[in-house]
Amino acid sequence: MTDKPEHMPDRLALLSDTNAAKSLSTGVLASRENPPYIALSKNSEPLRGAGARLDVEPLRDLIDDVMHLYRDDARTKADAWLAPRLHAALRLTRREAADARLWNFVSLSVAPDYVVWRHLPATGKNGFPPMVAAERFRGAHYTQAFSRLWWAAELFRDGADYRPVQVACGNQDVLNTVLRLDIIDHRPTAQALIRLVEKGTARTGREVNALSAVANTAASTLMYDVFAADDAWDGSILEEWIREGDSAPPVSRRLLPDGPDDGPVPEKAVDTLVRYFEELFVDANVRGRLTDES
Amino acid sequence: MTAVRQDRTDLETSVFSSQERVVALHQVERSDWESSRLSITATLPEKELSSGPWSDVTVMAVLTEKSTNSRTTTLLERESTGSSTWAGQLRFWRSAYRSQAELAVIVVATVDGVRGRVVGRSDDNWLVDLTARTPVRRQELQVEEVDFRDGPHEWLRPYKDAPWMIETSGDIPTVHLNTGFEGIAELLNSNGSSMEKAVRDMLAAQIATDVWTAVFHSAVSDLEVDAEGNPQWPGGWRDAVLRGMLSDVLPEQSGADALREIHARRSESSGWNELQPRINYAATRRAKVARHLGTAVRVLETSQKGSKA
Repeated sequence: MTDKPEHMPDRLALLSDTNAAKSLSTGVLASRENPPYIALSKNSEPLRGAGARLDVEPLRDLIDDVMHLYRDDARTKADAWLAPRLHAALRLTRREAADARLWNFVSLSVAPDYVVWRHLPATGKNGFPPMVAAERFRGAHYTQAFSRLWWAAELFRDGADYRPVQVACGNQDVLNTVLRLDIIDHRPTAQALIRLVEKGTARTGREVNALSAVANTAASTLMYDVFAADDAWDGSILEEWIREGDSAPPVSRRLLPDGPDDGPVPEKAVDTLVRYFEELFVDANVRGRLTDES
Repeated sequence: MTAVRQDRTDLETSVFSSQERVVALHQVERSDWESSRLSITATLPEKELSSGPWSDVTVMAVLTEKSTNSRTTTLLERESTGSSTWAGQLRFWRSAYRSQAELAVIVVATVDGVRGRVVGRSDDNWLVDLTARTPVRRQELQVEEVDFRDGPHEWLRPYKDAPWMIETSGDIPTVHLNTGFEGIAELLNSNGSSMEKAVRDMLAAQIATDVWTAVFHSAVSDLEVDAEGNPQWPGGWRDAVLRGMLSDVLPEQSGADALREIHARRSESSGWNELQPRINYAATRRAKVARHLGTAVRVLETSQKGSKA
């Protein structure tokens, strides 16, 4: 199995896609060998900026804890625990989080053992041994092992409240389909979809897929922003939250932490969209839904 | 765009260009700005607007960026009753955007009792570029001269004998030009005899062919798919590359069909090999290889004639 890196880097850094891709040998993906830590460290570029949030240790501690807490559970359950805590510990701006090189560094130089622990399938394909999909190490924001959790937390949090994130990450279909939709860039839309998952209106993979499909299709001819308006976002609150990171205690393991208090999503807008999506969903032809319920 | 304000400072009107439809927000002297405010006006076809089967017309400016999943909207107001000009201000934060965002204007109305229907949208959107100093649609390519053997990039060291390397990850594709390869930088920057120029252009075309091939492969392999498995236009330079080259690679198909086809061939790997000559052809066309080769041949002929005479 992949080992925890022996010499843990002190600070987060950037690792280009090219360099990440080069180190993803079959052996690394099949967890037969460790990533080439020395070459990776040589090829990483330091991140500018001071601040405790770029320290590796608090992040690595969280990863050790999640692997311990969920050692006997289905690994997918760990997502709902880790996503809000990862977000609260790192205190990144979207500008920073959009840099895939940061996530490459985390997956290869800080916690390849977690990527394997969480994403190694039980069986291989086409006669090959089980292998982690390369896109878990380096990939789109909704597939990479860490960025998917960070972006889920960022896009589904209700201001400082991470509870909707737990709902989103408690359902792999939400992570796999809803997270990649552009419509959730509108906060009330994201909250309304999660509300319907929480209520049990859409539970199974098929239902979640059908719900996101109808909401997405309707959005091509409708502007949800007009009848379910969000408040203007005040970036100074996020910046303050990032500054406070230097004096903040470690993220709580038992309690759900608080995110940046940049304003709750307007309740009225969410309600409007919940009702609207419900109507669409009833009309939608959910394939095999009746048999699922019987 | 009529004005741009960054934090508490009004920027020169030279930061935006109505012709190129670009706003350049990278100010060398103040790189740590927090937010910018764009003053926007949109002219709508008033006649069409007032005679359509709708009510409650609302005009909205929307700033979106794929890589940060950011979306900022603002309502535009009619400048005066009956005016066809709508105006408003859109404020956005630097921390929520990264490189290039798209600014669109969308007209929304109530149609058949349904609120929020899109009845029109700008077809020529603005580009809000956080990385550019001048408001032009840039060649989406960065050239970096660097010594592969002793330079700062450790990963280039194994390629110390290569004259150039192309990197397609990141915001903009980059050509790393190896200054350790004697004479290459001088040759590319040369501007001497017609023979020198011909060789220079041939070399540039050779590099450009490599670049176009690499960016095309990169854009195709990074395609994202929606819930139904349909590939999505990727935005940014990948978008421009695909839209530009697909017409040469799959000339019999267009737009969304070509995108679906190329994605299917790549992911199912059937028919992918057969496409390689076409991809190569599309790349050489974009790199203008034929023209530069033709010129070089002519220059060579002329010089031979000259030396014989």
